[in-house]
Amino acid sequence: MGGDGNVIQYIEAGLRATGMRGKVLADNIANMNTPDFRRRAVEFEKILAQAVEDGDLEALRNFEIDVTRPMDTPVGPNGNDVDLDREVGEMIKNSAIRKTYMRLLGKVYDQMEIAIQTQR
Amino acid sequence: MAVNGVGSSVDIAVSGLRAQSQRMQVIAENLANAHTTRTADGGPYRRREVVLRAGGDGPSGVTIETVRPDMENPLQRVRMPGHPDADADGYVTMPNVSIPSEMMNLVVASRAYQANAAVLKRYQDSVDNALELLR
Repeated sequence: MGGDGNVIQYIEAGLRATGMRGKVLADNIANMNTPDFRRRAVEFEKILAQAVEDGDLEALRNFEIDVTRPMDTPVGPNGNDVDLDREVGEMIKNSAIRKTYMRLLGKVYDQMEIAIQTQR
Repeated sequence: MAVNGVGSSVDIAVSGLRAQSQRMQVIAENLANAHTTRTADGGPYRRREVVLRAGGDGPSGVTIETVRPDMENPLQRVRMPGHPDADADGYVTMPNVSIPSEMMNLVVASRAYQANAAVLKRYQDSVDNALELLR
């Protein structure tokens, strides 16, 4: 049962990261007309995968979420680089990932409940 | 257990709704006064514009920094000899409102409003999903 302690840490880290990403995407959309605004992005998948592979429980518990401004997107006439279609696409992907983590968490809890009941 | 971020995402989307909504109000005011030659302070109406600003450091939505008169676009002098406000040469100074411009701005603001409303709906669904965990 050794690895299971990590699972909850891993899911929690994923939930925090997707939560942050959702916030960043909402902010990009809220500022789609703001002059000179550059979009932000959240990267976490590679770092999370690495932490899981290394079995690094500390890294998972204090998972650092990377919020950056990529500055690699073309800028419109008012200095704004937010592309609504892109943000919507990112948001849909993020929601799907977040939903997956939530369902996983639900499954882990269900399993724990079964384990507790079988031990009575 | 941290299921975070949803509350503040809602605030961010709402800030977008409010900003765009206020922007649309200003556009409506410009359109309504496109031909107003006499205002309370005397003189023709001058177009008003909205200055948007991203909130603090970190993602925190958008606010309207200020609503100010448009001093860049000049008022239009139009030849209307019979007009009550015509000057000695028969010219009337009209507002600097360009109706096609305002309509374009309205479309842009409206689209942004809808985008923020869609984000709000998505976060409502996200909260519902989280609540299902508790069943």
